[in-house]
Amino acid sequence: MRPAIWLCAVALVASAPAAAEPDLNGFWNIDLNRFDPPADLTAKLPPDTVILEDAGAPEFPQGEYGGLKLTPDAQAHAHAWKPADQMTLANVCAAPSIIYSVQGPFPFEIYQTKDMIVFKYEYFDQVRVIFMDGRGHPPADAPHYKMGHSIGHWEGDELVIDTTHISASTITNNGLDHSDQIHMVERYRLSADGKKLVATEWFEDPLTLENNGARFIQWDRHPGQYVYPYDCDPTFVLEYQQAGRQGGQ
Amino acid sequence: MLKRALIALAVPALSLTGPAQAHHSFAVYFDASKSVSITGTVTAFRFTNPHGLVVMSVTDAQGTVSEWRAETNAPVVLTRRGWTRDVIKPGQVITIEGWPSRDGKPYLRLRSAKDANGRLIGTAPFGVTDAG
Repeated sequence: MRPAIWLCAVALVASAPAAAEPDLNGFWNIDLNRFDPPADLTAKLPPDTVILEDAGAPEFPQGEYGGLKLTPDAQAHAHAWKPADQMTLANVCAAPSIIYSVQGPFPFEIYQTKDMIVFKYEYFDQVRVIFMDGRGHPPADAPHYKMGHSIGHWEGDELVIDTTHISASTITNNGLDHSDQIHMVERYRLSADGKKLVATEWFEDPLTLENNGARFIQWDRHPGQYVYPYDCDPTFVLEYQQAGRQGGQ
Repeated sequence: MLKRALIALAVPALSLTGPAQAHHSFAVYFDASKSVSITGTVTAFRFTNPHGLVVMSVTDAQGTVSEWRAETNAPVVLTRRGWTRDVIKPGQVITIEGWPSRDGKPYLRLRSAKDANGRLIGTAPFGVTDAG
């Protein structure tokens, strides 16, 4: 092969969408059925990791954290938490971080290109970009936000996403909050028939946790459906506050 | 380990401050082991996220009238089960079954709603493990 032709061939291969990469595009809704996580995905979790049984709709009651070991500061913070704190105008529409949102019982859409993948969540209208162009994370003191900064790559048929720069927010929606030093790694994989998407969400946060946490999450593909607007309205909490003030029981 | 220790020393004030909420927790607010059923006249119906809400005037066997509120799943979920913003109207008599509030308020989480003829509103009831 002449050098010029060889270079063209290399350039074409480098710029074209990789045919071997799974097509994750589409609308995905949470699968609320219990399932056994793939053993090979479990094996890829780092040591000292507890798997939380709250993915999807289940939630832990107050004081229960699914096996996560809290640092003394996190324990004190969780003990001080009051359920009523959630039902205030200031907080009821405060979106959680990706640590909680990624496993929430709401659908999301995936828009996949070679250099960028976008996840659009129904929950709180959240959107995140996963950079696939080889860039790294910004400096440690760069701004943090709820969706964090995500970079991804393919390992065979698995999409691996590394996320940092996540603002402090909830882990279990019952008083256990993570710091902005939390680090999350996700692995996404399609089922053989392309109808299911399974993922592991793994996270470490030395300021909050003495061990690491993980969740297994599974979604079903629903062709033709789309994410609805969430447009959270905080005045909902006024109804809760009003309950019991008129008429009595 | 050293890296972790250095991070902890460098950012001791970063952790666990500020609002860190999601939507309010079902498990924390409602008792899934109990159920409650109320029949009354609708006075208001909200169809906004994070939760819809039905306000009802309920008269008990002694003739005492009280006001109850039934929180629903998120309207994005309701919509996929056949609900619309006017599926329930003020003045309508309905029966709501659900899970009572842990704090004893006249407030519940809606599992199902039926009209005066006993017809289910929407296509299916809601479960503890349903979304939002």
